[in-house]
Amino acid sequence: MRKWFARLAALGVALLVAGQGATAAHAQEPAAGKKVVRIGATQSMDSMNPFLAVRLVSTSIHRWMYGFLTVPDSKTLQPSADLAESWTASDDGLTWTFKIRQAKWSDGQPITAEDAAWTFNKIMTDEAAKTANGPAVENFESVTANGQELTIKLKNPQASMLENPIPIMPKHAWESVTDMANYDAEKYPTVSSGPYFAVEHKKDQYVKLQANPNYWRGKPKVDELQVIFYDNPQAAIAGLKKGDIDLIGRLNPPEFEAIQNDPNIEAWNTQGRRAAYLQINHGATTTDGKPVGDGHPALKDVKVRQALHYAIDKQKLVDEVQNGLAKPADGSIVPPMYQDFFWEATGDEKVTYDPAKANQILDDAGYKKGPDGVRTMPDGKRKLEFRFSIHTDTPIEDKLAEYLTGFFKEIGITLTTKKLESSKFTEETGVTGLFDIAISGWSVNPDPEEVLATHLCSRRPAPGGEGGGTESFFCDDTYEKLYQEQLKELDRPKRAEIIKQMQERLYTQAPVIAIYYTNDLEAYRKDRITSITPIPEDKGLLYGGSGYWPFYTVDVKPVAASGGSGGDGGSNTGLIVGVVGGVVIIALAGFLLSRRRKSVADERE
Amino acid sequence: MTSQLEAAEPAAQAAGPGDERPTRRGTLQYALSKAGGALFSIAMVIVGTFFVFRLLPGDPVRNLAQGRNMTPEQLDLERHRLGLDKPLIDQFFQFVGDTLRLDLGTSYEYKRPVLDMIGERIGPTLLLAGTGLVIAVSLGIWQGTRAGWRHGSRFDRFSTGASLVLWSVPTFWLGLLLMMVFGVGIGPIPGVLPFRGIESVDAPDGFAYFIDVGSHMVLPCLTLVAVVYAQYLLVMRSSLLEEVSQDYVTVARAKGLRDDEVRRRHAVPNALLPTVTLVFMRIGFVVGGAVTVETIFTWPGLGQLFYEAISVPDFTLMQGTFMLITVAVIVMNTLADVVYRMLDPRVRSA
Repeated sequence: MRKWFARLAALGVALLVAGQGATAAHAQEPAAGKKVVRIGATQSMDSMNPFLAVRLVSTSIHRWMYGFLTVPDSKTLQPSADLAESWTASDDGLTWTFKIRQAKWSDGQPITAEDAAWTFNKIMTDEAAKTANGPAVENFESVTANGQELTIKLKNPQASMLENPIPIMPKHAWESVTDMANYDAEKYPTVSSGPYFAVEHKKDQYVKLQANPNYWRGKPKVDELQVIFYDNPQAAIAGLKKGDIDLIGRLNPPEFEAIQNDPNIEAWNTQGRRAAYLQINHGATTTDGKPVGDGHPALKDVKVRQALHYAIDKQKLVDEVQNGLAKPADGSIVPPMYQDFFWEATGDEKVTYDPAKANQILDDAGYKKGPDGVRTMPDGKRKLEFRFSIHTDTPIEDKLAEYLTGFFKEIGITLTTKKLESSKFTEETGVTGLFDIAISGWSVNPDPEEVLATHLCSRRPAPGGEGGGTESFFCDDTYEKLYQEQLKELDRPKRAEIIKQMQERLYTQAPVIAIYYTNDLEAYRKDRITSITPIPEDKGLLYGGSGYWPFYTVDVKPVAASGGSGGDGGSNTGLIVGVVGGVVIIALAGFLLSRRRKSVADERE
Repeated sequence: MTSQLEAAEPAAQAAGPGDERPTRRGTLQYALSKAGGALFSIAMVIVGTFFVFRLLPGDPVRNLAQGRNMTPEQLDLERHRLGLDKPLIDQFFQFVGDTLRLDLGTSYEYKRPVLDMIGERIGPTLLLAGTGLVIAVSLGIWQGTRAGWRHGSRFDRFSTGASLVLWSVPTFWLGLLLMMVFGVGIGPIPGVLPFRGIESVDAPDGFAYFIDVGSHMVLPCLTLVAVVYAQYLLVMRSSLLEEVSQDYVTVARAKGLRDDEVRRRHAVPNALLPTVTLVFMRIGFVVGGAVTVETIFTWPGLGQLFYEAISVPDFTLMQGTFMLITVAVIVMNTLADVVYRMLDPRVRSA
């Protein structure tokens, strides 16, 4: 038995020594002079195959790897040339001709219109290839190629045609893929047309990308881009503080505050892409108009919804729930960073925090307060008691619920919080309609068409109570008509006007009530990253932006010849600690062994 | 956790009337009957898994859609692809057949075979959780022995107290604390230990690679050991306490043996039995990894995979990992029964 003990102890000591000594050799330094940017991500990639990948981290990485027909301009965010260097649309808006740029894939093959045509046709004909971007080709009648000329025929006019989210894939490298549903695309190096191509992917650990020398804008300034995955945001923040990573995006206010005062870290706080809003069950129905769910009948009354709107102190929510890192919403679902499309309420229409007015509206509409201070329906049958659906494990939503409960109490409405885990939440608030009020939000793309579409009649669940993709169960004639109009309007300023009217309609009808636009919170190490251009260039976004611009323009200090560069002074300290630790443990082991010898000697006596 | 502490008890009390040598056949019979029981349990697990995961709230296909715009036709197609449109009984036989052929299906989220994904993860998990178990057991037995032998001494009070405090600390909190102190560094303490993953992104080759992995293991291992070693310490301590007052210990002392020898040669071997049972039972759980620790330190093991599967939720992946973990526990429990019989003559005759 003692031998067994001794072996265990020896193993333990050996492991400890290995562990301590390890710090000495920790992380082999990459070749000196190489420029490497390390980006932290708190989500891992679901797939390397752009036809399948839907996670945000995956689509971001694919944006750095593959070109599109057009991309948002780095200054104006309007569609600008990418793989397509120019384009024309027929007068009826149904035929689009793109001229594909003379450029090369990362493997040296020429990029042709054939590549683009293959990509679109693949998605149009292969069900599995539709997984990621199916809806983006739904309106395509046919796609054909002729040399560098790509012709897309549409079924109906579509103004957002120039913001197609589909990355163009190399036909020569992909046409042999037969079973798209099960193709993981783990083949390196990848054949890419963007600023970078992938060279390695260790699942749930990291992705390594290398600068593409054939990139049509010219090779990026850095040699390598690493995306390093962390399972939890606290660890990622610790990684940034230590200097294991250079940049991280998508931070929450508490995480952001944790790094705000670090002298080596640039805390990036700008207007964001996201609108947070309350979704109100104003009578959920399926596409055939049949009611679904169990929404409170009072919420069908637009007056009640407006009263709720007046009762919300948005500034207070911003200050106390979002720690000031947001902007109160005086508009609707398009955040102010999109200056062209943003609509802001003014004059009489503008709803400002005014509980007295909210009470007045409800009194006038016949919702009388009972002896307990809670209002009832005009027929006196049901009290105004609403449920507020939020996600489990989201402290910010908990806090929001607390404040809203307080606000609504002021106007005689009881709010109770209902926490749901995320898949259940999506189902109840988007398909089955089992809610009264729910938290929601949307990160809006430079072209707002997709977010506008989430409030269309056709997005409600089908008659069987399935499918769809509605954010509000909204179905409004005026809104539908405006949506169709903007689709056909190819003149950008005119289209923007229509889109503003749509937001106004959402604002006054209040199927959703926008509460605030959350800021884009990111951080990077200023002792490593020497320059990075956000998108849009004037105080825009980095990781949180759409497009490769920040990561194409980024520049860092090169890796120094021997450790101790920049903030990562760990190597020398590591060596010392490792050596000291090793010595201590060996001494300890020696001591124990000598004691044991002694006791053995005793036994022999 | 108390259940494990209790589970170890009855065996310790199973003192039989005499020491009858069992026949070899008896042992074989015993082992076979235990194995039979285990097989039955595994069969029940497979059946249970099928129904439990179909009783879970939420339609997996709708979950897959995750609020994306999907037509009912697309949903039906997806359902057909996953075989969810067949009658339940057909699905059941399909599932049992596939499972027996070790085909655990394809992950909904990652579109890859579940068995491959488990295969990638099992190595890192065994490495981390296995090392953690070895250290925790050694530490627990060592401290438990000394604490039990000198019951009420300062060492006893300190080590028992410290282990219980660590036992009660939330794993997540302790992990983050260790990460901040030894990973990032606070004040004069330099943060040198890595705290993400199993290896560096630019991992070196050869021997240096082992050292790299070793350094990545230090913090997760420390966290893992700190929160679990108390159970070994307590079981060892209490069973040693029982032995201390036994007659044979008095006899050994009366023979004039040194205190140290009485402990090592007489008391400890007898007191070790409950701990052995506990250790075997824990080995089963090693396969499940340490979900929390793996998640804090982004360790690419089964625990992390299970956590991912639940948060998506990815039903096939959950099913696969769940079955693997339960089967491992059942197998190790059976093994514990058999080994225990070999170690303790009293059980054989009881």
